[in-house]
Amino acid sequence: MYSFQILLNIFFSSSIFLLIATSFSIIYFSTRFFHIVHAAIITAGAYFAFLFAFKMALPLPLAIVLAVVTTSILGMLSEVLVYRQMRKRNFPTLAYLITSLGLYIVLQNIISLYFGDDTKVLNTTEVTVGHQIFGAYITTVQMVTVFVSIALFIATKLFLHFAKVGKSIRAVASNLKLCDIYGINSNRIILIAFGIGSALAAIAGILSAMDTNMTPTFGFNLLLYGVVVMIIGGIGSTRGLIAGSLVVAAAQHLSAYYIDTKWMDAITYVILISFLIWKPLGFSGKQLKKIEV
Amino acid sequence: MEYILHLFILICFYTLLSQSLNLSAGFTGLISLAHAGFYGVGAYTTAILATQFGFSFWLNLPIAMSISGVIALIVSLIALRTVDDYFIICTLGIQVILFSIMNNWMDLTRGPLGIPSIPSISFFGLVIDSKITFLLLSLFMVMFVWFVLSNISKSGFGKTLQAISEDEIYSQSIGKNVYKSKIISFVISAILAAIPGALYAHYISYIDPTSFTVNESIFILSIVIIGGLRSLKGSFFASAFLVLLPEALRFVGMPDSIAANMRQIIYGLILVLVMMTGKNGVKDFFAVIWKKVN
Repeated sequence: MYSFQILLNIFFSSSIFLLIATSFSIIYFSTRFFHIVHAAIITAGAYFAFLFAFKMALPLPLAIVLAVVTTSILGMLSEVLVYRQMRKRNFPTLAYLITSLGLYIVLQNIISLYFGDDTKVLNTTEVTVGHQIFGAYITTVQMVTVFVSIALFIATKLFLHFAKVGKSIRAVASNLKLCDIYGINSNRIILIAFGIGSALAAIAGILSAMDTNMTPTFGFNLLLYGVVVMIIGGIGSTRGLIAGSLVVAAAQHLSAYYIDTKWMDAITYVILISFLIWKPLGFSGKQLKKIEV
Repeated sequence: MEYILHLFILICFYTLLSQSLNLSAGFTGLISLAHAGFYGVGAYTTAILATQFGFSFWLNLPIAMSISGVIALIVSLIALRTVDDYFIICTLGIQVILFSIMNNWMDLTRGPLGIPSIPSISFFGLVIDSKITFLLLSLFMVMFVWFVLSNISKSGFGKTLQAISEDEIYSQSIGKNVYKSKIISFVISAILAAIPGALYAHYISYIDPTSFTVNESIFILSIVIIGGLRSLKGSFFASAFLVLLPEALRFVGMPDSIAANMRQIIYGLILVLVMMTGKNGVKDFFAVIWKKVN
């Protein structure tokens, strides 16, 4: 009966990886650099929810909505105050990555300062066995996570393909200079991408914190899983992202079952490094690695 | 007094770490987030050899350096097939794997329990267990590494590395072996990072994996960037500044629990500001501000 439980766990984990990879790739897609601050954004989402729901004693749905909005604003602030200033001066993408590492350290430590480094629980309901499906167990939070993640993933894809703003984001992604020539305000579009990406990240952070619990650094690992999924899947590829999240989740749970849970992280990065070397374009084969001219 | 000596020893360690990273990150342009991993490899090799086999420091040091070098060679053969951002992500992965080995391979490293009771260094029968003698030893190592690195940077090979960081394709076109030079600089960097690792293990006499995390790697990289790429002197001053900063915070009456976070917030902010202005290190950053004020 174990096998079905593992399958269910893989399904659950992959849905949360998918959501994080979507939230990260919408930003990566439009700016082409690794926005490491996203890790602090994921964490901030969960901690804002904690702040509103427990410290201010607001009802949970309202607290979650407020947390998502605040986190989204936080993400947009990082773009306006830092990255936009840098974009005026034409830096290499490497400079953005290092800046975002510094900004991540700042935000993560502010969260540590305010909330403390101890483990926090973001779940008011009693711990129950969960629902039984064919002999395997899944909790309510996990079921909600799966549905919300898949729904948001589909919604994001539809938005990028059919909404006017979504189309503009894809236009900025394919050629920023040409967008400026055609009168698309690229700064505004990138700002919107940061807003949407950060909101999705906040939701992923809240769901993941509700499933297990949270510390001020828990976003970093989640983000790195998301980055691994994105690189494995290839940028801008729907099927690639789904396949990537399934591969990462499967590798983690199978290694946890057959070897030991403690090697899960190492296995994930071994997969990432093998992909970066032998298949740098990901499953989809779309361009990811910079071509040296 | 003992405490001040301890701080000086820490400055020596971080000078060694940041200067060695400066060779690959500054001169060659290979920004690596795996440096704390190599630091850890040095520390763990020394600790295991010293406690399990009773080897002396003078034997442990070259062995630690070679093991770190071999790992760096294998890693760089793989990682250097990627460029720029992907190279950083790749080294981040390597850092996580190295940390994972230190944290999880119970039989070898005792995992989170750490390795206790590592003996002090002895030098021709003279046991270096006081802070002042250890500081002298560390200073000697700093001077040795500084001398080696400044000679490398002035040599023809150092100029090749700088050329690679400026324009890879051009360097290749004038017949420089880019791939090989990158590997050599990455490996030398890792070999030198094992020196502070070995010193640290004998100095603290107890090591555990929490000293060699991703955050430590980011910290070392920040020292290099704040001090200025390609500036060995800058790395030294930045190490001194960032080690003494929490003490200064304590001096103005900030409690310890906040000071640790405040230190990280401050160096994070400095890193962001230095990068945003596009200047090489804090020195240039202040020069720009000075010009604006006048």
